[in-house]
Amino acid sequence: MSHLAAWIHTPFAQALGWTLVHFVWEGAALAAMLMAGLWLLRPAPARRRYALACTILAAMPLIFAATLAVMWWLQPAPAAPISWTPLTGPPATSAMVLPPAPAPGFTLADILDRLPWLAPFWIVGVLFFYVRGVAGWAAVERLRHRGVCAPVPEWQVRLNELAARLRLARPVVLLESCFADTPVLIGYLRPVVLLPLGCLTGLSAGQVECILLHELAHAGRRDYLVNLLQSVVEGLLFYHPAVWWASHVVRAERENCCDDTVVEIMGDARSYAATLAALEQRRAVAPQAALAATGGNLMKRIRRLTMEPRRAQSSVAPAASAGLLLAIFAAGLAAVPAKLPMVRRPRIAMPAAGVALDAAPSQSAAANAQDNQPAMAAPYRKWLTEDVAYIITDSERAAFGQLETDVERENFIEQFWKLRDPTPDTVENEFKEEHYRRIAYANGHFASAIPGWKTDRGRIYITYGPPDEIDDHSLGGNYQRPPDEGGGVTSTYPFQQWRYRYIEGIGANVIVEFVDSTGSGEFHMTMDPSEKDALLARRPQAAAVAGGAFAAAKPRIAAADPQHEVPAIPAPYRRWLNEDVAYIVTNEERSAFKNLKTDGERETFIEQFWQRRDPTPGTARNEFKEEHYRRIAYTNLHFTDPAGLPGWKTDLGRIYIMYGPPDAVTQTGARSISWTYRFIEGIGNDVILVFEDSQGNGEVRLTMDPGAPHAGPPK
Amino acid sequence: MSVKPHELPRPTDAELEILTVLWSLGPSTVRDVHATITRRKPAQYTTVLKTLQIMAEKGLVERDEKQRAHIYSASRPREWTQQQLAGDLLQRAFGGSAKSLMLGALSSQRASRKELSELREFLEEYEKGTP
Repeated sequence: MSHLAAWIHTPFAQALGWTLVHFVWEGAALAAMLMAGLWLLRPAPARRRYALACTILAAMPLIFAATLAVMWWLQPAPAAPISWTPLTGPPATSAMVLPPAPAPGFTLADILDRLPWLAPFWIVGVLFFYVRGVAGWAAVERLRHRGVCAPVPEWQVRLNELAARLRLARPVVLLESCFADTPVLIGYLRPVVLLPLGCLTGLSAGQVECILLHELAHAGRRDYLVNLLQSVVEGLLFYHPAVWWASHVVRAERENCCDDTVVEIMGDARSYAATLAALEQRRAVAPQAALAATGGNLMKRIRRLTMEPRRAQSSVAPAASAGLLLAIFAAGLAAVPAKLPMVRRPRIAMPAAGVALDAAPSQSAAANAQDNQPAMAAPYRKWLTEDVAYIITDSERAAFGQLETDVERENFIEQFWKLRDPTPDTVENEFKEEHYRRIAYANGHFASAIPGWKTDRGRIYITYGPPDEIDDHSLGGNYQRPPDEGGGVTSTYPFQQWRYRYIEGIGANVIVEFVDSTGSGEFHMTMDPSEKDALLARRPQAAAVAGGAFAAAKPRIAAADPQHEVPAIPAPYRRWLNEDVAYIVTNEERSAFKNLKTDGERETFIEQFWQRRDPTPGTARNEFKEEHYRRIAYTNLHFTDPAGLPGWKTDLGRIYIMYGPPDAVTQTGARSISWTYRFIEGIGNDVILVFEDSQGNGEVRLTMDPGAPHAGPPK
Repeated sequence: MSVKPHELPRPTDAELEILTVLWSLGPSTVRDVHATITRRKPAQYTTVLKTLQIMAEKGLVERDEKQRAHIYSASRPREWTQQQLAGDLLQRAFGGSAKSLMLGALSSQRASRKELSELREFLEEYEKGTP
């Protein structure tokens, strides 16, 4: 069920839901066109009516596919990768569907939100019809061999002569069948005519020839193939009566076409009609025959066959019909632009790493929103600019700004949290709870002259949760400078280094440094490792710090770029630390490694690092190391994404390197797979991780974890 | 060999083929049955004979031993066996879908009572009009 819920929120399901709804009017319009066309073509031969009906019927799946493509294209890029636990990265973007101005109290948003649920029902229906169709086809194929016998050879000869007259390319076999209760043609590549037992002896030779001609006409017109395709369309669009009706028209006109062929060759419409009537009566007198409640269309066909040729239509009728067709086209054209804005959702781009960390644009956007909506009541303004300031997407912010009533705003807020709920089926919204806990924590711990949530540390904490490691030098003073910062001892401003092992959308091993360069208690984010150095005057930037110019410094991140982090470590060792063992090295080991001075020490360290992990220390082989490098090689081979991100850096690669091959891999949707681990130490049993290629560009991301809500991100 | 109808076993596919031939030709000798079957596919005379003997034991066919060449005939009419076989789950579940795949001179739906009387009228009128 949770997989289904996850699938429902994929862009494909959303597009499908919309397509299913749109096809209701599209199918009706096509049926209306067919109706008008048939009326126009009343005097025309059955062939043309048949061609029209086939065209309309074929147009139905094409329109459906085109609508699906348009709906897909109108979708926002990602389907809210609802963070898989409240602790992981930002909830990213989400597809909020909000019509510009819904009537108060009318929860159109609710309806739109549930729309994708149509998709699974439709899929089940299609499967039902297709399974049934395939079974029916298999049952038909059995009729070729079961309970059949060849008639006297003269009839096969006669059939071949008639087939030659119709210029049939393929040989047709004639058989008597104990199952057929009416003459039928089956098969396309190897067509067979099945006659009910007794048909050959009970009817006159001329009558049998009429019947055979009718069946041969089906074979010549490739009707069996068309009929199969028809069944495919019926199954695909089973929920629309217009499809069944159009299909019914095709079947009826097809029989008329064959009737016409028979009459053209045999010449006597009345005797042919009498043959059909006699055949039907024979069937009706069969002992087991239960009379059908609803009749076939035989009498109609007989009337058509025996009717006088119709007189030409008056000129008014075609004109009226043409007018009707035009009106339908116009209505269709008018309907398209009228409907599209309802479903057009803004394309939401995934926030780029730098932007996500940069509060400035969001805050200015918030300010704009306030300017535009002076009427917004204070609690809602506070919700927008304080409570969710860091996690709301720009498009959501814009949508919220356009709401006019408090009811709409309440609905919006409810939807906003619901979309981010990792367990939508439960009453608790872990995401919301965690979010407010983080705000409270930020206000409690980071407040200075400004409230905690507004500080850089508060923003990072609220957006990304508690860091995996904090290197705290809040008191300032003497500081053993790491070699890559120049080494030696210096005096610093109070500073903190926060390390996140992984931030979604940014990368692995993110270090954020905060410095209180003004002594006010407000730590701001910095990228310059020298900023904290109170004594360092030879660097111009440090001088600027002393001058207090950094008060206006734009927050930046000391990103995952390993070169900034440890420039003094020679490249091979840096690579070892930041790539080879990035996911498995402990924080203590990392700090210890960074403090090493010589390559000899580093070599020894690396050797010991692997030795500690060797499951069989007595042997020459280190299975752990072998397996680890095998995993890295595997990820680079299989998970390297089209954008060029090496396999080990992808989400799939990270999980694979940390936890090994999953116990089960399931395709959960067109663009998502889930990995199941029976057990992960420190996380729990039956951990399910869902990866989604939400943009459809091969960039697979860990999205959510519906199966094991308690499984935290790898710490 | 009198066996009650409901005790008759279901015919196998091979037996059903022989029954079809018997329904089509009427009472026949083994040679006739064999000749008809070989029009469609190769078959051994002895196999057909053996099958007919088994079917006689089961009661599916009746054997007239008055003449030198034994005459076999189906013990039940086609409709009866057809009904029995229609109990086939596959047939029952997918008959509708199968019918829509077959192309017949008549629609797969049987005529209603009203339509049948219309048909009869039409036929009577037709026969009157034909010299």
